[in-house]
Amino acid sequence: MKLNNFKYFGWVAVLGLILTACNNPAPTNTQSGTQNTQTATPASSQPTDKFTVGLVLVGPKNDAGWSQAHYEAMQYVIKKQPNVALEYVDKVNPSDRPNVKGSQVADDLIAKGAKLVIFNSDDLKDDAFETAKKHPNIPVIHATGDYSWKEGKNFKNQQNLVNIMPQMEYGRMITGCAAALSTQTGKIGFLAPLINDETRRLVSAAYLGSKYCWENYRKKDIKDLNFKVTWIGFWFNIPGVTLDPTKVADDFYNSGYDVVMTGIDTPEAAVQGKKAAEAGKQVKFLHYTLKTGCDLAPDICLGVPIYNWGPLYLDTIRKAESGQIKPEFILGKPDWSNINNPDTSAVGFVFGKALTEENKKTLEQFIKSLGDGSINLYQGLLKFQDGTDFLKAGEKATPQQIWYMPQLIQGIEGKSK
Amino acid sequence: MENNQLKIKDYSLRFGTLILTFLFITLIIFLAGASPKEVFVALWQGISSADQFARVLSTLAPLLLCACGLVFTFMAGLYNLGIEGQIIMGAIATTFALRIFQDIIPSYLAILLGIIFGIAGGALWGLFAGVLNVYGKVNEIFAGLGLNFVAQGLTLYLVFGPWKRPGVASMSGTEQFKETVWLPTIGNTEASPIALILAVLGLVVTAIVIRGTYFGLQLRAVGQNLRASYVLGIPAYSRILGAFAICGALGGIAGSLQVLAVFHRLIPNISSNLGFLALLIGMLVGNGILWILPVAFFFSALNVGSLQLPLSLQLESSLAGVIQGSLVLFVLLARAFNNIK
Amino acid sequence: MKIELRNITKRFGNVLANDDVSVTVEAGTIHGILGENGAGKSTLVKIISGFIGRDRGTIILDEKPGEIKTPAAAIRAGIGMLHQDPLDFPTLSVLDNFMIGREGGKDKTSSIVLPKKLATKELKYLASDFNFSLDVNEILGNLTVGERQQLEILRLLSLGVNTLIFDEPTTGISASQKDALFAAMRKLADSGKSLIFVSHKLEDVAVLCDRVTVMRQGKVVGEAEIPCPENRLVEMMFGRELASPNKPKTATAEVALQLHNIILKTDRLTIEIEKLTIQSGEVIGLAGLEGSGQRLLLLMCAGLLPATSGNLIINGQDMTNQTYQNYLKAGVGFLPADRLKEGLVNGLTIQDHVALRQSIGRRSFVNWKETLTVTKDKISLFNIRGKADSKVERLSGGNQQRTQLALLPIPLNLLLMEHPTRGLDIESAIWVWQQLIARCQTGTTILFTSSDLDEIVQYSDRILVFSGGNVSAPIDTKELTVNKLGQMIGGKFEDGGLGTGD
Repeated sequence: MKLNNFKYFGWVAVLGLILTACNNPAPTNTQSGTQNTQTATPASSQPTDKFTVGLVLVGPKNDAGWSQAHYEAMQYVIKKQPNVALEYVDKVNPSDRPNVKGSQVADDLIAKGAKLVIFNSDDLKDDAFETAKKHPNIPVIHATGDYSWKEGKNFKNQQNLVNIMPQMEYGRMITGCAAALSTQTGKIGFLAPLINDETRRLVSAAYLGSKYCWENYRKKDIKDLNFKVTWIGFWFNIPGVTLDPTKVADDFYNSGYDVVMTGIDTPEAAVQGKKAAEAGKQVKFLHYTLKTGCDLAPDICLGVPIYNWGPLYLDTIRKAESGQIKPEFILGKPDWSNINNPDTSAVGFVFGKALTEENKKTLEQFIKSLGDGSINLYQGLLKFQDGTDFLKAGEKATPQQIWYMPQLIQGIEGKSK
Repeated sequence: MENNQLKIKDYSLRFGTLILTFLFITLIIFLAGASPKEVFVALWQGISSADQFARVLSTLAPLLLCACGLVFTFMAGLYNLGIEGQIIMGAIATTFALRIFQDIIPSYLAILLGIIFGIAGGALWGLFAGVLNVYGKVNEIFAGLGLNFVAQGLTLYLVFGPWKRPGVASMSGTEQFKETVWLPTIGNTEASPIALILAVLGLVVTAIVIRGTYFGLQLRAVGQNLRASYVLGIPAYSRILGAFAICGALGGIAGSLQVLAVFHRLIPNISSNLGFLALLIGMLVGNGILWILPVAFFFSALNVGSLQLPLSLQLESSLAGVIQGSLVLFVLLARAFNNIK
Repeated sequence: MKIELRNITKRFGNVLANDDVSVTVEAGTIHGILGENGAGKSTLVKIISGFIGRDRGTIILDEKPGEIKTPAAAIRAGIGMLHQDPLDFPTLSVLDNFMIGREGGKDKTSSIVLPKKLATKELKYLASDFNFSLDVNEILGNLTVGERQQLEILRLLSLGVNTLIFDEPTTGISASQKDALFAAMRKLADSGKSLIFVSHKLEDVAVLCDRVTVMRQGKVVGEAEIPCPENRLVEMMFGRELASPNKPKTATAEVALQLHNIILKTDRLTIEIEKLTIQSGEVIGLAGLEGSGQRLLLLMCAGLLPATSGNLIINGQDMTNQTYQNYLKAGVGFLPADRLKEGLVNGLTIQDHVALRQSIGRRSFVNWKETLTVTKDKISLFNIRGKADSKVERLSGGNQQRTQLALLPIPLNLLLMEHPTRGLDIESAIWVWQQLIARCQTGTTILFTSSDLDEIVQYSDRILVFSGGNVSAPIDTKELTVNKLGQMIGGKFEDGGLGTGD
């Protein structure tokens, strides 16, 4: 008898273990959204007028980064187009929601009345495609991705699939320029996620921006510019799998890299930069994605390149409402007359406090030149890291060449693959 | 007479446990700031469409297989927490087979080979835990958890390394397999009849082996008293290894199904914690093998339905996990209580 | 400190572990408590040291009634106990173990910060006083049992005890450690401390103690001043009169079991048997204090413990290094004393057990119907009070033993039993032996141990006496006297025994 009781204690102990193992660290809590199906519908409109958009977010909707940008974009759409209602599910990834696939979430959203579905991650591209196939009458927007790009490498002829991606390479060039203008040591660090076409493109763009501004505004030799990228291996820290971004950021700041830009989802560059600054180091950082990116350490923040999905979504949703959706590969362009115009510009750059007045002026000049075409950084002669030609002298890059870069550009220190 | 009274007592205990559990869950939902009624309605809605019901079935299949596998190790007195790793190794082995064979042999053969590889992968991993337990004298709980980490690490390595998608290593897993090697489904839904048949077959075979064969009887004996079983002439250690291998094999099939029928590729979290869920089921049903079917169905439904919680109530879907956990906890407490009395 | 125990009684379920026990231990002496395993010695000292409570009786410490309800209270009263398996913490250091058990705040130093320096000094001083060499920083798990005992003695002394209880301290330690231990104990007694020495080893009691109390079946059966003739102690331990043998002759001329140059080594004992031949149908009783090697011999003959060297031949077949399965096939059966631990499986029914026995060598489906018929036959044949679906743990001890007998392989050539009638009522015991002798008449050979000398004398043809691993030559039961037995149990073999060495 006694033995049996012990056995049950054993059971309970094991149960505890299992429950702990099952308990996913969900870093955020999902409170009820203020803009919901119920509240977003204007009083006057009839239910048939309502156009429900289903949004599948890979991360938490308040992640202060990528997913939040998409969530805010939909709030923008609802403000501009009040008959649009939003149904969303966030944290759609296998660790937060085991055994749940993006396509299943989309099925449920469609079952709840969604007439268009948005997937916001490259990780969800199979799901976006599957959903488009399964529901041929529902337009599917996949933010990032290239399945609908006829001239692209991965074209899939799917009539109701749209890809949207802002031309962040411009944001990155500006970021790179800001870094080159501000560095005292001539050492710029890039805290980067994993290596793929998109990240190679963006790191290269940042380098091109740095190189141009280093040579043309600071009048220095490119040999004196040290531009180093460290890939941690994923969008955020996975202990044991990725490099620890905190450590990578520290290594940058401690070995003379006085400007660090980040391309990962979490704010280690800002946090560690702030600590280094408090310890007396003259360091600066550049955040990524969201216009509030500087808020963690405003005094040492040079700026943030931001995504503005709102106008792009609004435009596509309007098309869908009027039944004019067609497979399209949309590259969201910056509005060069005002890159921070929330209604027109897909890519922006928020200036940080740490950018000096003089540098700010120079940077604005750089932006203006990018806009009027007087500067085209994707122009030969440019070489890859291994010394082969990316662009021959005078050659201008095609969108495909920019999108699918097989290597980093020569001059960048760090791995291409 | 005495037996009847015992039965009545037993049933009233079970019924009382259910009521208590229900009250406890209701309280938790209140504490989470939601209305219990809405939660239960949402959960129900979450499984009521054809698509969703099909999803319940497609989760049910691997869950049943894992729970069946665990019956063997539970019978042998072992807490096989390594079931997760065994699912993962099954999935890896299946992926390995498909990567080689999907283009060079007919699809049905590739699928068959995939499942066979999955069985082998899971069984080997199970056996490994068994060897650590029997010969290395490592407690099977720690052996299992350790091997889970290794299997998980191997998956991440493969997904981010040698098996990564061309150009894009990502959390979304390896490149999808050709549609011809996906297990066929019912209509446009996700339920695969083959997966279900395999699972039900697994349950029937498990019930027969445990109740009707010498092997099953010997396992029970070994589980209750290893030394006495040995003295009685049962090859106790080989039976323990057998239990591990069979559990691993069934877990391996579950892993195969996750690859062939659900995700159509290897993803980092391929096991989706189904192994742990199956452990809960095993604890809940105790010796009643056939109870696995309704309980697994209920758990699967709860799991699938829980997606509605964030969708319509902005609640964490892990609330479903809390419901499952409290159910098991209360049942165990009730049993312990019964025993102390 | 003088300790008087008056009328101590303690009951565990049906077993009267201590029945009206009174013992007086004078200050400055070593007092032995001698008895067979299960005589109630450990229960008694655990009551004195507060580990278990008593049902009745009083403890008087230096003429004052003492209330000892917990081990901590015992320590406060000045009584400390060294357990058979030291109660210490193998992963901690020697010093940590030394400091464990102190009550914080009593020292002048802080109650929170461990007074490590002071403790180290104290430990080193005490150790040198007793000639113990202990490294204070060593991890305890690396120490031998003897060294752990030494540490425990020092720890108890540092807590201020003046009475020390040693429960079977000489088990598992080396000869030199035993000498050191005894020297230390002598020194402690000479310094005025009282020592209680619990043992079933006559020779240890004889060299160490000043006085000895002998217990049997929970009762005090006698006291003696040391020195005292060994056979008097044996008489007290086992009872004065031997029963008369009444077994019919069942031995045949055929040889059933042969042992050649067997050496069986374990951590504690080494058994050597140069040559032993046992006839088919013979019953051999293994006498001796429990733990003297009888079980090892049984396990070896059963195929459950491999011999270190030598040959074992059963019915002409060399079984050395064969698997246990092959022993079973050769008709070897083992009936363990602890039925629910080694013989039967908790939670399984009688029918399940019958099926399990059938399962050996078969892998297919169980024919439950056929098994039920077989089970019912066995239940009526062996007179088991239980049903086919009764779980074995619900059966009484007698019926468990009947079930074990029912499960023995057929044909049964060699049967090895530990305490075949322990815990059985007389009627069952007689029935069991009737069955066994009936088996012998069909050629079964039996080796059995028992702590009941009467049982051994009544049912054996020949007897082997064990003493600390030494095995006597077989003695015909009819030639046995209490005197001879007592001397042999005490380790004095006239003919040097079966061992090759001495």
